[in-house]
Amino acid sequence: MATNPGLDRVQRWMQALIQDQGTCEEAITSERAQAEISADEARTVVLPSKTLSSFERLDIYREMYLLRMEEALDTDYPALKHFLGDEEFMRLVARYVEVYPSRSYTLNRLGDHLPEFVASLDDLPKRDFCHELALLELALTGVFDATETAPLSPEAVRAVPPDAWETARLKPIEAFRLLEFDYPVSRYLGFVDQENPAPRLAQRKTWVVAYRRNYHVHRMDLTQPAFELLSALAAGQTVGDAIVSVMTRKWRPAVKEKQLFEWFRDWMAEGLFHAVEPAKT
Amino acid sequence: MANNRWGYPDLGFGIGLRSVHFEHILKNNPVIDWFEVLSENYLDTGGRPLHVLDQVAERYPVVLHGVSLSVGSTDPIDFEYLKKLKALGKRVNARWVSDHLCWTGVTGLNTHDLLPMPYTDQALRHTIERVRNIQDFLERPIALENASTYLEFSASKWPESEFIAALAEEANCGILLDVNNVYVSSFNHGFDPKKYIDNIPKDRVVQMHLAGHTNKGTHILDTHSDYVINTVWELYRYAHRRLGGVATLLEWDANIPGFDVVHGEALKARQFREQEDKKMPAPELEEVPAYGD
Repeated sequence: MATNPGLDRVQRWMQALIQDQGTCEEAITSERAQAEISADEARTVVLPSKTLSSFERLDIYREMYLLRMEEALDTDYPALKHFLGDEEFMRLVARYVEVYPSRSYTLNRLGDHLPEFVASLDDLPKRDFCHELALLELALTGVFDATETAPLSPEAVRAVPPDAWETARLKPIEAFRLLEFDYPVSRYLGFVDQENPAPRLAQRKTWVVAYRRNYHVHRMDLTQPAFELLSALAAGQTVGDAIVSVMTRKWRPAVKEKQLFEWFRDWMAEGLFHAVEPAKT
Repeated sequence: MANNRWGYPDLGFGIGLRSVHFEHILKNNPVIDWFEVLSENYLDTGGRPLHVLDQVAERYPVVLHGVSLSVGSTDPIDFEYLKKLKALGKRVNARWVSDHLCWTGVTGLNTHDLLPMPYTDQALRHTIERVRNIQDFLERPIALENASTYLEFSASKWPESEFIAALAEEANCGILLDVNNVYVSSFNHGFDPKKYIDNIPKDRVVQMHLAGHTNKGTHILDTHSDYVINTVWELYRYAHRRLGGVATLLEWDANIPGFDVVHGEALKARQFREQEDKKMPAPELEEVPAYGD
């Protein structure tokens, strides 16, 4: 018997079934599906094939949906998946897409709400660590996709008169994120990427700058004073004010002038700044 | 010489541009006729993918192939998406733009799957209208691909091939004939794949796709994860006999091997076309093991 509920109803119905995580039998009786097509009528919407029942054919689409979502989130959150394991990560994905299904033409931003979702879960192992790991991985996707801005060239740096630096402002590149954590999440990501040994996952303050150089994403661990200095610069303080705000605080170990030069040298070499803006006269 | 009504050229034998091959392509400048690009991967990034695409587009002809046009959806057309698609097409001088005959979501949601249409009069009228609007906005004809499908609606009145032919005629759009998808759907639904190809209007076809798939016994999944099977090569030869020289692209999207393996698979299509053009017997094909075995 042919059932023709109309294109709009059949699409809303099929989507409801695809996004329902119960069995197909349960899905057709759900409120959302039955708002479009009654459970009785639903049995005749799809034809069986020689080898599969109509529900088995629907299940092909239903199963592929979660796998596709998992694949997309795995791309953006490989370290979180590594920490949780395949099964727990899949469980997280299933719960996440129920609350935050894709509303975009691209899967690239599917995981934008994952850190806040992780933070809201009471039953996730080491939730606070997972939350920070997710924050780091989300920041890296932002760095990956950020608009390209050319780093400051050595010529541009040399062109600034020495006495102009104090009142000048340094503008970071677009692909630049400063991050402060209570756990060594960047070291954990390094462990997953086989860059360093596994860190102890105990609480420990860490500071990181994530950035892109030559279209490749990098991370650099920072000390707290280096983080504060970079933050002040990124917030638009003049070089002089940013340095004063850091150097007038007490640090243990103390920050030496030589270190300041080393930081600036490293940051310039890594291309963290896009422009130097002299003070307006 | 082009066989289609818009004069879109037969670009030869291309492959899909995939990030695992970026280094190889930029470093070696391989001799390849053209690349097909998955549009959505380049719409919202200012990073490496776009940087690489810009370089590829300087060296090779590029065609945009999307998965989010959702041409059959009952949701409003996403003009923000189209705006970005149009800009990308201009940026890379896309020879043409294609997507699928399907819908991907409704009520503002996206399942990111190529979901099947019921082939009804209502669906046909609806899709014709949308294709016209999309083409008006993009200021160019689009080509729609027959997607692999795993179910059929009891309400369907038209065979898929007749539906897509009628859509192309009425909306004045092109067809991207995916030969592997014809085979996959014919297996899943039990129709004759050659009859399907017979129903496709020659002057509408601007491109063909080839790919590997995964046979689950009870059904076939269009996974793009393996070599093209011999039956699909034979079907491609048949399609070439019917449709003439059409730009052909090999898709490989999962378990992607090295560039040369993918390109080598694409170049097999040339053999089949040449043999067919000379009316020679089809090339001997060895049974190829599943990739990775």
